[in-house]
Formats: sequence, C-alpha cells, structure tokens
Amino acid sequence: MITGIITFLVIFAVIGSILYGQRLIKTEKSDAVFGNPERAKGGVHWVIVGSSFLLLSWLYYSWDIAKAFYPKSANELCQVAKVNESLLSLKYLFPIEERQHKSTALIKRENINIENKIIIIQNSPDLKDKDKELFVKLLNKTKRTIPLLTDEKLLETETKIKIKDLTTRITWLTEDFQKVSYPPIKSIEEENKRIEALKKQLGWGATGMEVPPLPESKRGLKFHTAAEELNKISDEFFALRNHNPEYLRLLEEIRTEIKNYKDGLEDSQELEMTFIKEIKKLGQRIEYESVFPPNALDEMEKSIREFDVVQKIEQGNLIYIDMFLFPAGTIVASGPTCAEDGPGRWLPKPSDTFRIFGDLLKPSVGFKMIPMIWYEMMGVNRIVGFMLPDWIADLMPGKYPVHSADGTVKPNFKSKVLDVVTGEFDAFKIPVPTGHIWDSFLRVFLGLTLGIIFGVPLGLFMGLNRFAKGFFDPLVELYRPVPPLAWAPLVITVFGIDNLGKVFLLFMVSFSIMIISARAGASGTQLSKIHAAHSLGASRWQILREVIFPNSLPEILTGVRVAVGMCWGTLVAAEFLAGTSGIGFVENVARKYMQYEVIWITIFVMGMLGLLFDVTIRKIIDKTIPWRGKG
Amino acid sequence: MRKIISFILGTIVALNLSVSVANAAANEVRVAFFLEWATPNQEAKVKKTFDKALGVPVKWTNFATGGEMTEAMLSGDIDISYSQGLTPFVNAVNAKAPIKLVDIAVIYGMGGTTCVAAKGIDKGNASSKLDGQKVAVPLGTMADYVFKETMRVVGADISKMKVVDMNPEDGSAAFVNGDVAMACLFGGKSIKAAKEKGASLLTVKEAQDAGIAGIDITSVTNKFLKENPGMVRTFVEVTHEANARYNDGKADMNIIAKDAAMDLAGTKKQMGGFEFPNAGTMKSKYMNKGGILMTYLEVMGNMFATSENPALKDYAAVVDTSFLP
Repeated sequence: MITGIITFLVIFAVIGSILYGQRLIKTEKSDAVFGNPERAKGGVHWVIVGSSFLLLSWLYYSWDIAKAFYPKSANELCQVAKVNESLLSLKYLFPIEERQHKSTALIKRENINIENKIIIIQNSPDLKDKDKELFVKLLNKTKRTIPLLTDEKLLETETKIKIKDLTTRITWLTEDFQKVSYPPIKSIEEENKRIEALKKQLGWGATGMEVPPLPESKRGLKFHTAAEELNKISDEFFALRNHNPEYLRLLEEIRTEIKNYKDGLEDSQELEMTFIKEIKKLGQRIEYESVFPPNALDEMEKSIREFDVVQKIEQGNLIYIDMFLFPAGTIVASGPTCAEDGPGRWLPKPSDTFRIFGDLLKPSVGFKMIPMIWYEMMGVNRIVGFMLPDWIADLMPGKYPVHSADGTVKPNFKSKVLDVVTGEFDAFKIPVPTGHIWDSFLRVFLGLTLGIIFGVPLGLFMGLNRFAKGFFDPLVELYRPVPPLAWAPLVITVFGIDNLGKVFLLFMVSFSIMIISARAGASGTQLSKIHAAHSLGASRWQILREVIFPNSLPEILTGVRVAVGMCWGTLVAAEFLAGTSGIGFVENVARKYMQYEVIWITIFVMGMLGLLFDVTIRKIIDKTIPWRGKG
Repeated sequence: MRKIISFILGTIVALNLSVSVANAAANEVRVAFFLEWATPNQEAKVKKTFDKALGVPVKWTNFATGGEMTEAMLSGDIDISYSQGLTPFVNAVNAKAPIKLVDIAVIYGMGGTTCVAAKGIDKGNASSKLDGQKVAVPLGTMADYVFKETMRVVGADISKMKVVDMNPEDGSAAFVNGDVAMACLFGGKSIKAAKEKGASLLTVKEAQDAGIAGIDITSVTNKFLKENPGMVRTFVEVTHEANARYNDGKADMNIIAKDAAMDLAGTKKQMGGFEFPNAGTMKSKYMNKGGILMTYLEVMGNMFATSENPALKDYAAVVDTSFLP
C-alpha cells in the first residue's frame, strides 16, 4: 500500500520536475551561453529527479512495485515455475529452448570422443600392438552401439507403447488444462485440508517467507496440479531406457571382453588398466543417456510444445506481469519451494530493508548482541584512567605502600595518585555512544586525526626544508604507492585483533595523503607573499603561521576530503580481518548467512556516514578558507 | 532530452531481456573444491579421469569457504560444489537457494575441525575460564558448528564470550599471538600452527562420543541436476571409485598431496581422520529417513536459522539420493 503511494508520488515528482526544468530553460537569460558557470547553478528540481530515479530503480528492480500492485503474483508465478521446472528435463531433450536435440549433441560429442581416443591409443608409444588392436576394436564396437540405439526398427514395442502412453497423458493434460473445471476436486476432506493449510500460509515477503509455495488462487492451483502430473510423467520417462536386445547383447559382449581383459592384467599394468577403464566409461556414458531414434520422440516433442503453448496462454496477464514487473529475473521453483531468482534475491525490497533496519536499530536487538548505535553509561573514572598515563604515579616522590604486620594496607599519596591515573575511584557516570556504527565511526575518526596530526607538520617541513625533503622522501615515496590493504596480512600478527590494528591501517591511508597535500601546499606558496612578510619584519614562526600555513590550507583540506573517502574504503576490509564490531563486521557476517537486506543496510549506512563526513568537511572548508579560488 | 529518455528506456529493455544462448548438453562442468582438504578424487582430478568419464572438460576452481561456493553457484558460475561443509549448505537452503545435496563427500572426526584452547584451559575448567574471553570463530562455517557443540559439551556460556569472526588462518595467527583464548579452526596448517601454543579442547574420541562430527557434502545446482542428470551420476560415480581405490590403499598419495597443496605427511595425517563411506552405507546409515545426515541437517538448520531465513520444515526435500551408484 505505502509502496504503491510512494511509487505514484515519485513518478509525479519526476514529471513535475522535468516540466519545471523545461520551463526554466525557456525563461533563462539569453546571454548564458555554453560554458558560462551560471548555467550550472541551482537545479534543486534535478536533484529531485535524480533521487527519485534512484528510488524508482530500487523499487522496480527489487520487484517491490510488483509486490505493491500485484501481491498475489509471486504465488501464481511460483506455480508457473513449478510447471516450468517439471518440464525442464523433458524440454531439454528437444530443440525447444536449445539449438539441438540432446541426443544429437551427445552422439556428435561421443563420436568425436571415440575418434580422439582411437588416435591417442594408436599414438601411444607404451602400449603393445596387441593391446592397441584390442582397444581400437572395443572402441569401434562401442561406436557401433550408437546406431543400435538410433535405429527405429530396433525400438522395442514395449518402449514404443510407453512413449505413446506418456505422450497421450501429456495431450490429455493439455486438453484438461484449458477447461475451467480443471483440476477436479478430489474429495471434500482433501479440499478442506488444503484450505486449512492455506490459512496458515504467510504472504509474499513476510518474515521468513520468501515466496508462499501453496497455490492461493484458482489459476495457481491449476498450474500446481499440472506440475505434479508432469513430474510423474517426467520421472517415468527418464526411468525408460531404449535398451533393446540387440544393444544389450552388444553391450554385454563389450563388457565381457573388457572384463576378460582386465582379469588377465597384472597389477603393474597401470596404463592398460587406465585405458580399459576409460573405454568402459565411454560405453557407460552412452548407456546412461536417453538416446532414442531420431523420429521416435516426435509425437512427444509435439505434445510438449503444444502444452507449452497452452500453458503460456493460460498464464494470461501473468506473462506480462512477469515480463514488466519482474525485470531481469523471475520466481523459480526447486521442488516444493519457490524462491526469487535475479535481482529479487540480492536486491531486497525497500519496504523490507527499512523494516529490518528498524529492527536492527532497536538497542535490544542489534546485530550479534551489539546494538547498531546506542549509548551506555560509563564512569568518568574510566575515561580519566584511559587518558592519564600510568607512569605519572611512578614519578611521584616516595614509595608504594607495603602491607603492615596486622594485615592491612594503608594507602599513601603515591598509591592514591596511582588510583586516579588507573581510574580506580568512584565517579559519576555519563552516557557514551556505543554500537557498530559508533565503532566504525570512531576508527575512521581516529585514523584520520592521527594522520592529520603527524602528516601535516611533516608535509610542511618537507616542503620547506632541504634536509627533511631529502631525508624523508625515499621513505614516503616508497610507502605511499603501497595500497593500504597490502599491510593487512601483517596487521593481526603485529598489532593483534583489537582496534589498534584497524586504526593503524586507516592511519597509513590518511598519513600519506596528508603528507603529500601539505607538502604541495607549502611549496606552492607564492614567493611574493613570503617576501612581503619578510620585509614587514615577520619572524620565521610568524611566516609559517600567517603565510605558509593559510596558503596550504586549501590543499590540506582537499587532502582531508580525499583521505576520508579512502579511509571508509579501507575500514570495511580492515573489519573483515578480525571482526568483533563495526559496519564491515556486520556486512561480512550477513554475507555468510545470506542476509541480503542487512548487506544493503550496511552499504547504505556507510554511504550516509561517508556523506556526513564529507558535508562536515565541506562546511569547514567554507568557514576556514572562504578566499579559496579567489586569490 | 529525448536522447536521454531513449537511452534509459533502452537500458531497461536490455536489462530485462536476459538473453541466454545455450547449447543442448553442457559443454563443460564447473566444479568447486577446497585446497588443504585432501580427498581421494583429487587423484582422478589430476589424471583427468573426470574429464574422460564425463566426456567434456571439467573446470576446477578452489574456494576459501563453502559460503563462497554457494554464491558462485547462485550466480551460475559453478555447477557442482565438492566437499562443501554442511553448515554453509544449510545456510544456503535456509535462504531458499536452489541447490541440492546429492552425495556425502567426507565424514571427518574433529581432527579436521576443532577448537584449540590456550594452555591452562581444559575440558573441566573451560566453562569458567572462557568467561569474558575472546574466542576466534569463522562464523557460518563447520567450525562455527563445532564451536557451538563443543561449548555445549563443556558447559560454557557462549553469550559471556566475545566471539571474533576470523578466517582459520587469521584465527590461528591471533591465537599464537595470545590475542584470543581459544580458536576454532579448520584446515591442516592452521590447526598445526595453533596446536604449538595450545591443545584441542576435546580429543577426537571425546568429540565422537559427544556426537560431534563433520560432514562435507556434494551439492549441485537445481538447473544442472535437471538438465544433466547423467553427468551428475557419472561425477558421483567417479568420486566413489576414487574413494574405493583409497579405501583399498591403492591411491597415489603423492598426487593427492600435491594437488591439495600440502606435504605428504600432513596429507596422510589429515586423510587418516577422514572417512569415505560407500554408497550402501550412505543409503542405509546416513541419508535414510532419520539417518545421521538427516538428523544433522535438522539440528544445524535450526542452529543457524535467522528470522529472515528460518529452518526448513523438512530437509529431505533438498537431499536426492538417486545419483548414488
């Protein structure tokens, strides 16, 4: 329902925006020629069209539009899929959806295989001539079994009758299938049972139910019943073998010869053994397949084609729903169950995605017992203990207390300081964020900040000082082109599985980018500005702070923007390595349980967080360097 | 404007028509397998027995986990997954993936998949010593199943541990470093490395007595099964022949070791813990109604069920024994 309304709204929004855009072009100033930046200004309506288009594609390709407008279609298509599945094996024999008869393709292939084998045997230097002769003889005999299978005259009456019988059953089914009364009601009891089972069945896309398999409509029941019958026919047909006495006699002859030969072999004659086994397998392959004379199955093929035409007609508007509302895939059946195949499988419906996202966001549910983003109460003492290094206590005068004779420990000043720096004191609690999203955010933030803190000064230094440039250049230039993930195999061994390794990877990413941008910024400062500052009597520090640093800020901030993007890219891979929490961890686990909704949620969350970072930095850029591009 | 619209419409049409050009009878068979997981049919693989028996080339691709095998089968790039773990298979069928189980590849005691705990932690004190500790587990694999079952046996509470999702190689490295108190692993090299710093929580015998065993299976896509039943039968048959050869002690272990990317001693040791039952045993003991495999499927199906992918009512629907020789 909601999806339907949204679909209409989105379509209206697109049309409205396009019309508005057309009108805007007409009213535009005539002096805005091509190349004038004025032409790229504004355009909120195109943003609406762009995002609507994205949403519409998502709704369309996840088959949510089909679900909104034809909620029963999946169930009906499931029944159609059951018919298609039951016909799959039979159809595959004939050039209905293929180019050749399966028998034709098989015989062609096996004839080539036999020819090739003969050539290999004749060219084999290790085989005795006697053996070669025997092998070629056996292969030729095997080849001679093929015409025995394809000769119409040799086809047994019994087989003929059976084929005829199956063909008639398909024809009857075709006729019955078109009747309104099909399928006939078996008994009231069974009918009641069926209705009872239907009541318990959940709808399409309900939690834990991908496609409801039991037929819900009359049309569905028709296809469902036909599929059952066709499955029986198919099974009976594939149990049938065109093994006429002539063929069996020759096969037996070949087998006996092979057996006799094998019995005469010694254990050391491995090569001969291999060859004889391969020859046996070749014969077997032909034996297993359903090879029939070229025209023996014509009637059957015709009946299947006829049924196929009829079932397509009976599908009615379902065919068009399938074609237009189930793009790039369809519902497939696998035995009694059905599933979405194509984008419906891996692109979850927006409605499902938001529902599951809502569930995940509940702090009590979360993912793997950790909430997505929530808060926990943390004592200030733990924060203080984390911030202050423990060695402060060691620097204090005096000694740590020693237990006294009466078995008590009396704290002194030094031990009290130790309690403070290790966080062992009572304090009020404050809420701190926690959860997967926060963990990922924190890792990126830390990696980035560390990169800026170390990278920018080093970059500036390298841009200004000959020694620094020469000394650090080889190091930086060697490590910079290395993709950050190349460090990944080392991270667990060197840094362990906690945050340290992941933050280190992100630091490696942002560090090199910050060095390069700060260095470029510093060396790009206009000499005239520096000269001006000098002549006004500025000190070195003043020049650095007031001239060079502001001048390199545009470069540095662009570097930060690039680094943020790279950090997000690396983060997911880093969290794949040793997952305890984080968006990348969620995605990796969801993949293993094939929870495509969750995978898309993580992708979406990462996109949003990346955007958030980028917007923040853009705001900072606008605030701090308003002169950018105007100097 | 008109150009843009026609381009968009054209793209939609092109996407909707998934054109498939197929020839009757598959002209190659694409099989997924594991490295470091020695099986007798690798001899047949190297000697091209499969290619010769099937009459078409067989393309073997190695994968790191069974879950990746499923993904490749769903995208249509793999026809047969050999030695897929039961856990990823169950995850796949719970998610309604159209694949079927046709054969048991390997039955292994817990020599092949085990939880290695740090020194000082044993079966008796694991329930208290593992509380609040970090443990490395490759989630959604057979090792995950072994982890859950082992913790049940020793009476430890999983919710009190911090489970770290790690591949066996990484888990083993983290364990050796002392970052985790226990690592649940599969694969010869990873277990060997971990055992230098610890010991298995349960011995092979103890695990066996507790009913923990690993089963690797052969799974086939529904489409391939329907279209090329003969090929599936031949594939299973050649595998069983290779198994029989191995069971008779006739297999060439050097070839298997080389193909499995392991040394000879390691291969022999690993395969010593494997069992390759014949078709008769499978039908009477494992894949019959109430058989071992069917029980496992149900237990595991419920163990790994999620709200979106709940356990199937009847796992017999995804097992097809008609291809066994």
